[in-house]
Amino acid sequence: MSEVKLKRETNVLDVVEVENRIKELCQQLPHGITDQVIQNDMPHLEPQQRAMVINKLLSLGQLDLLRNSSGLLYRMKDTQGAGKMKGSDNQEKLVYQVIEDAGNKGIWSRDIRFKSNLPLTEVNKILKNLESKKLIKAVKSVAASKKKVYMLYNLQPDRSVTGGAWYSDQDFESEFVEVLNQQCFKFLQSKAEAAIDSKQSPMVQRNSSFATSHEVWKYICELGISKVDLSMDDIETILNTLIYDGKVEMSVIAAKEGTAGSVDGQMKLYRGVNAVIQPTGLVRTPCGLCPVFEDCHDGGEISPSHCVYMAEWLDF
Amino acid sequence: MTAQEVRLCGLLLREHFGEVVEKVGTHLLRGGAQNLRIIIHETGVPLDLVKKSLCVLVQHGACVFSSGRKGAGSPTEYRTSCDRILRILRYPRYIYTTKTLYGDTGELIIEELLQRGHMTMSSTVKTVADRLTQNMEGQYLSVCINQGLSKLFSLFLKVFLVLRFLFFVEIEYDKETAAVLIPPFLLEGLCMDYGEVSNAFSKLVETHFLQRCPPMVAAGAAASAAPATPATPGTPAAPVSTAPPSPESFPDCYKVPHMTLVGRGKRQLCSEDGEDQRNAKRAKMDSQAHGDEGICWQVNFERFHLHFRDQAIISAVANKLDQTSSEIVRTMLRMSEVTTSPTATCTKPLSANEIFRSLPPSYNIARPIVDQYLTLLVDDPMEFVGKAGESGGGMYVVNLHRALANLARATLESVVQERFGSRSARIFRLLLRKRHLEQKQVEDFAMIPAKEAKDMLYTLLAQNLVQLQEIPKTPDFAPSRTFYLYTVNQLPTARMLLQNCYKTVANLIERRLFESRENKRLLEKSQRIEAILASLQASGAEPEQLTEVEEMITATEKQQLEALRLHINKLDSAENQVDESIFLLESYINSTASTS
Repeated sequence: MSEVKLKRETNVLDVVEVENRIKELCQQLPHGITDQVIQNDMPHLEPQQRAMVINKLLSLGQLDLLRNSSGLLYRMKDTQGAGKMKGSDNQEKLVYQVIEDAGNKGIWSRDIRFKSNLPLTEVNKILKNLESKKLIKAVKSVAASKKKVYMLYNLQPDRSVTGGAWYSDQDFESEFVEVLNQQCFKFLQSKAEAAIDSKQSPMVQRNSSFATSHEVWKYICELGISKVDLSMDDIETILNTLIYDGKVEMSVIAAKEGTAGSVDGQMKLYRGVNAVIQPTGLVRTPCGLCPVFEDCHDGGEISPSHCVYMAEWLDF
Repeated sequence: MTAQEVRLCGLLLREHFGEVVEKVGTHLLRGGAQNLRIIIHETGVPLDLVKKSLCVLVQHGACVFSSGRKGAGSPTEYRTSCDRILRILRYPRYIYTTKTLYGDTGELIIEELLQRGHMTMSSTVKTVADRLTQNMEGQYLSVCINQGLSKLFSLFLKVFLVLRFLFFVEIEYDKETAAVLIPPFLLEGLCMDYGEVSNAFSKLVETHFLQRCPPMVAAGAAASAAPATPATPGTPAAPVSTAPPSPESFPDCYKVPHMTLVGRGKRQLCSEDGEDQRNAKRAKMDSQAHGDEGICWQVNFERFHLHFRDQAIISAVANKLDQTSSEIVRTMLRMSEVTTSPTATCTKPLSANEIFRSLPPSYNIARPIVDQYLTLLVDDPMEFVGKAGESGGGMYVVNLHRALANLARATLESVVQERFGSRSARIFRLLLRKRHLEQKQVEDFAMIPAKEAKDMLYTLLAQNLVQLQEIPKTPDFAPSRTFYLYTVNQLPTARMLLQNCYKTVANLIERRLFESRENKRLLEKSQRIEAILASLQASGAEPEQLTEVEEMITATEKQQLEALRLHINKLDSAENQVDESIFLLESYINSTASTS
């Protein structure tokens, strides 16, 4: 009888010892320990006991269970996180985990459902719960206005969700973009005119009419028309729209690392240009701009002989 | 031959040659190659009128004939093509260009040849000399007495007038135009000499603006020539090729014939009507043996087109860069005028030394500066000029096809901009640069709010200026699982806009004819009154009679006439402006056709 008693006592003692031993091993190997490691350390430990200890640690929330290519891994969980989740059950912990993994891009509720394999009602309840606890928040995405993505409370939403500097409260600020557009263009145009007036050799003229994106960025910052801080990338997107307007052309040159504004050893140069041709002959006639051009035939309801637009244009 | 082209050709033929020629011409355009019997049968026009119309069309080079398709015995077939008839739209531009290059003489030569189609050199010279003389004689000789250039001449004229004054000849001086009214008989010395006109003609031929018409090979002569030439047995019995030989395939194309033509232009004096009749009769009987029978000349449209193309490139360079660069490009193009073939992609390489030497002397620029300008031209993103090598200080070429493509692209962008606004133009240019984009990407790059960008894209798509390319992720083209990419194809869009241009010109011509028809009564009345006025003036009437006749037109009618005149001028100039777009788009499309 005493043998049995002894065994039980050793069992109890063993459990606490084993737990501590496992915790020490986890701390030694922060990447995680496998079953193999535990077995090597404590060869006398039976697999059942080991499993029991590990389950206990998991339910206490002190161990993290992960899987890698070779098998299961056990990792020490930081106690701070464990403290937060006190009072929550496993499902909530799981959802919280999924949201945390999404980082600052946020995750949609349907994706949470897929990842956690929980039914929709459960997920919604948990999300409400977490929100009331101020652990997560919902951010409206600018891409689809009805979609809400969830992310951790204290994270800054990513630019792709809020739209960055051009969006304020999910609204695209077109006037702001227009104003910036015009200001950049005026700056480049005045630089080009100054270069022409300087009457130097043509090569020098052309080079002095160029402005790097860094210069334009500094000019816009100094102008102070923007409430939001704009980065050089933002200015480059504005300058690209000027290229698509046909008012500006760009070239790339190699620059020394460390000069202001150089990115990966390159700098982008912009200069104002003139149009290549005057507005073409076709658009100087009413037919070139006519909204009902396709319907116009001789003898029809709409015909050149009775065209209202032509009559107005002729009397102009 | 699209419907729009046929409609425009019909209107042009009607304006220039009349309704019968229009009927026959449009029938040939729609029907392809046909023989005489079919034309008569299907148009319902009598035989002799059909023959005359065909003659007119052949004379102007719009119609070609060849032996039938079914073999040597079948009747000749006639074929027209739209291109030649559409050139009629461009006649004013040809005449104006010649005026700027060769003065009034050249202008009249080209005008005569365009009106007559083919003419021999001697008849052209005579007609032009007569016309010039008529313009010079008569009532007013404009002399700008105060201009520095003609000081010597004005001095001479003053002496001349003083001498004449001594003989009590009436000389009037019109203060407004600084013109001197000199009676006709004093102008005996001022006639246009045939030699001057011949010189101008030769100059036009040297620069290839005029060319000989290819000699016609009659079907009968060909049959008799067949046994003479040792042809291989396999040659078909009809050696006349289906495609008419191009004028340039003949070696004498640009050779001025030796012509004996001495004399001067004849003035048309009203008192010499009877003598004129006798002169005309004598002219017909006089066999006009000037040594150039059978050698007819025509206008070389291709050469004019090359000239217009060069002008377009030079003005584009002037707009984009500056005046000096455009002068350099002009020099390069002038040097390669005769060495470059019409369909070449770029001119022959020219060395920087040559360019520097050939610059006009008024531009005294230093050699290194010229080099800098050339480097800038090469670096320009529009790629007008390219570098082909390093020998001789750098070999440079003008990229003709690329320049045409850029000009065509600028035309397309300008049409989109004027029609749909600058934001749509931004989207259009963005798609031209980036080729294929999704809708979301278009919104991001163009920085236009999503709703508006969507609207604009759909409008452009509805007008077929932008195309949609579907890339499926799954074999069923399920909309949620397909990529939809927007794209712009430059060549098909250019073709579509060209057809729109044709339709626009046809609309403008229609409107012009309508306005004239509407006010026909008024126009006739004003013509009658002008005729009455002219005859009264000639017979020496008093001023009261003249004012009485003038008052037959009321003030409102005068206003209406004035408005009508303005309308018609506006429509005319609009036609010419649209023709410029047509020229750019046609050149671009032809340049891609030749390279592909």
